[in-house]
Amino acid sequence: MQEILQHTVNAMVLGSTYALLGIGLTIIFGIMRVVNFAHGELYTLGAYVAYGMVALLNLDFFSSILVAATVGMLIGALIEFAFLRRKDLKNIDEVMLIMIGIMIIMQNLELMVWGGVAKIIPTPFSQDPISFGDVSISPTRLFVFSIAAILLFIFYLGIERTRFGLAIRATFQDQDAARIVGVNVKAIYTLTFALGSAMAAVAGALLAPMFVATPLMGDLASLKAFAIVILGGLGSLGGAAIGGFLLAFIEEFGASYISSAYRDAFGFLVIIIVMLFRPQGLFAAKERVG
Amino acid sequence: MNWKFFGVFVVCLGLFPLVWPDPYILSVMGSAGIMIIAAISLNLLLGYTGQLSLGHAAFFGIGAYTSALMSLGFNVDLGFGITVQVDPKPVWAAFATAIVVTAFFGWLVGKLAFKVRGAYFVVITISFAQVMRMISLNWTDLTEGPMGMISIPPLSLWLPGEGVVNLTSKAEIYWLVLAVGVIAYLLVAMLVKSRQGRAMIALRENETLATSVGIPVTYFLALAAVISAAIAGAAGGLYAHTVRIIDPDVFLFIYTVTMVIMVVAGGKGTLGGPVVGGLIFGLMPELLRGVVQPEVQWVIYGITMILILLFLPRGLVPAIYDFIAWVRTPIAIPVRESKRALSAGAKS
Amino acid sequence: MAMSKRLLTSLLFGTLAATPVWAADPIKIGVSQPLTGAVAASGNYVTNGAKIAAAKINENGGLLGRQVELVIEDNKSNPREAVNAAEKLILSDKVPVIMGAWSSTYTLATMPKLEEYGVPMVVETSSSSKITKAGNPWIFRIAPTSAMEAQAFAKTLDSFNPPIKKVDFLSVNNDWGLGASQEFEKMFKEHGIEIGRKETVAPATVDLSAQLSALKDTGSDTLIMTSGVEQLTLGIRQAAEQQLPQRIVTTGGSFPEPLLESPGPKGYTSSHLLFFSPWTPESAVHPEIAGAFVDAWNEEGYSFPGLSEGFRGYDGIMTIAAAIEGAGSTESEAIRAALWDVQVKGVNGDISFFKDGPEGKESAQNEPNVYVVQLKDGEVTAQ
Repeated sequence: MQEILQHTVNAMVLGSTYALLGIGLTIIFGIMRVVNFAHGELYTLGAYVAYGMVALLNLDFFSSILVAATVGMLIGALIEFAFLRRKDLKNIDEVMLIMIGIMIIMQNLELMVWGGVAKIIPTPFSQDPISFGDVSISPTRLFVFSIAAILLFIFYLGIERTRFGLAIRATFQDQDAARIVGVNVKAIYTLTFALGSAMAAVAGALLAPMFVATPLMGDLASLKAFAIVILGGLGSLGGAAIGGFLLAFIEEFGASYISSAYRDAFGFLVIIIVMLFRPQGLFAAKERVG
Repeated sequence: MNWKFFGVFVVCLGLFPLVWPDPYILSVMGSAGIMIIAAISLNLLLGYTGQLSLGHAAFFGIGAYTSALMSLGFNVDLGFGITVQVDPKPVWAAFATAIVVTAFFGWLVGKLAFKVRGAYFVVITISFAQVMRMISLNWTDLTEGPMGMISIPPLSLWLPGEGVVNLTSKAEIYWLVLAVGVIAYLLVAMLVKSRQGRAMIALRENETLATSVGIPVTYFLALAAVISAAIAGAAGGLYAHTVRIIDPDVFLFIYTVTMVIMVVAGGKGTLGGPVVGGLIFGLMPELLRGVVQPEVQWVIYGITMILILLFLPRGLVPAIYDFIAWVRTPIAIPVRESKRALSAGAKS
Repeated sequence: MAMSKRLLTSLLFGTLAATPVWAADPIKIGVSQPLTGAVAASGNYVTNGAKIAAAKINENGGLLGRQVELVIEDNKSNPREAVNAAEKLILSDKVPVIMGAWSSTYTLATMPKLEEYGVPMVVETSSSSKITKAGNPWIFRIAPTSAMEAQAFAKTLDSFNPPIKKVDFLSVNNDWGLGASQEFEKMFKEHGIEIGRKETVAPATVDLSAQLSALKDTGSDTLIMTSGVEQLTLGIRQAAEQQLPQRIVTTGGSFPEPLLESPGPKGYTSSHLLFFSPWTPESAVHPEIAGAFVDAWNEEGYSFPGLSEGFRGYDGIMTIAAAIEGAGSTESEAIRAALWDVQVKGVNGDISFFKDGPEGKESAQNEPNVYVVQLKDGEVTAQ
């Protein structure tokens, strides 16, 4: 029993960052129909910004996450402004390929700046685990979970309770109608991309102190973000949040009770199965996919 | 396609090792050639049926692993007391098996994945490649995991007067790759010019319309996937027996991306596209090696890809054709025509 | 067409003819190391060590009156890329001798190419017994085998208190990790120590929690971990987070240096098998050489704990230099012959080779020294 509890705790921590990652990706897809292959690189960017702030500039850990979010937001807005504003880019495949190009450029710039050696991000927390009976959690993980949970809550409030959120939801549902009622769709696009990118960067800045920052960490993160989004249903915000936790639980329990070696494979197996039987995702309303 | 030009091009490529027998250059050309074959196969799906398969490295990898495993033999415990033992098979038989096995996977993935389109199709193909990578990485009893499979035997050939020779020298490998490449090219060329090929193109242009005039969509997509996978599997098998070492990283996304760049840059949906794109992006690393570091190379790749997508979205080959057509068209013609039109107009 | 072809041919031959060999050209030594990827930290350390050796050689007038130039190729922590790197070094850069390729897996992958082109390689890190048993006469290994390491560790068994009674293994699933766990298992069994659970992990995995939680209730008192710097660091950290009861012993000569700056929980102790202990250079066989190397390293501003692997590169290049000096030539075959006779005073100790592997095509093996250090609260103590 305590073993199951321990796995649940681990999965909740992982799931909270996965949810951030997934929401970031799905909001961009839902509104702009852009499959953002650079998502994992923004995640990596967040991790390295946090590393640079903490280890090189001696900034405190908390502010470094804020800086990571800001940098992610700026780079995201820049990408949108520079590459996705072109009128002739209507084909979803072409946009996907452009995002792959951006992915390659960002990944290799990271490799140039930081080198291939993994970086460990120091945290101000003690390494002594906090124990509740036989279940233990490191203070770093607890902090990561709290921040991620708070951000998810703020995001929820922002989408549901603000005018900006209303505009986003409107654009999400029907762009033309949103334009007619006076939503500045162009601005919404830029803001969406910036927001989605910032969430990826925060996920990176949060997850990296638990593990390491490497220039190639974005590859798997991108693919996992896809898995999360597919699980929840492409373009469903709530679905992405649930999908994030679901993937974490599948990974954690699959690794513990089926095979630790195939940890990273479970998510993809699940995608394939979901695609075959319920391609619109587990939580989305019916959408045409074929 | 101009067949005379194609013949001259192939002969030139065939003579290359005699003109420049440097083993290093030939080895670079050989590796580029294998990637070009893979790109040709991707082009069939991406260019002719319009399906962006981003898991194409999976077929390449399955071909490489199947061919390596069959030629080396294996003995693996599947659990439940079932063991599968395969003795080493002749290399060409292994190579042929690899093609059949990848064709089967192509059919399977095609059948499953084509239920969905667009972003969904992309994600399912990526997932497929990832699962394959995880299996090759972790099923150590079968695939040797991250140690990779080493000492893979080379392909051999019976030559009159020489008997059976192992194709191990760089020039031999180069010719072998060239031969397989020409076969793959002709196969795709014949296919897209056939009735089936026209049906595929119709699908790409307008799926709903194609369906309404009675083209069985799933059948043609599956056919394209099978042939495309089989060619990619052949490229993988070729890779296994020429490089003679493979490891799970052959399934990495970046290899698929390399193929995609080659196809898109060269011109998707054109026969020459993957060849031109493949030559450029296959040889560019060697030209840039020593000039700039590998990361800068990849940045240049990325930028080139974006620039081509933004400014030559159809790729280089169509752009070259347009250019040739533009050069060949004597400027006088439209003038004369317009004069005639003018005079005709004046007469009437 | 004919015109352009003639032009092309002349261009091609032109480039070939334009590379004459000058007597004063530097002597090229190939280095194949993982500079990116899963074990990049170690590869960079070894490369830094090699650079220090080359700089020192050049300061002292070079070899055979020529300067030494290292041609460094990244094998990207991948066996296929290791083969590529070796081919580039041999065919394109025309190096007569190589040092490489860190992991056993990369070395094993490279070996057929050495035989194909007849180029000797000094193996500075790889420990799999397969390497010298394969019958490849171009292999000269200065690193200890896993068996040697296990025997060296056997001598320290008494110093552990409470004593080691039952051990688990957590190994990276490649030639190095699997080979090491095999040799250590053999040694433990000889000493009547029980073997518990054996877990493996893929090289690039960062989340080891599933493996560790499987090891939590095995009743063992010791966990033998074999992997690179990155995974050792993550493993030890996560083991502490999960409150694993076992003491951790790492093998293979990598040191989880990030734990110096951000240590694990208070009082948590881990032991590490190293082949050079930079904290105690005075205990090395040749303290003056070890001391000078440590000084040169610090002068370059490289990270201090990296020395525990950096020395491999230094010793490797010094061994090659001695062979080139001994051969009086830069021909691969002559260097190979001379390598058999080298007597080098290295950072690890005396380097010389004995024959290992099938008769007639033996590989060369060195008998290096092994040190055990302990890490507790970010402090290192030699045992």
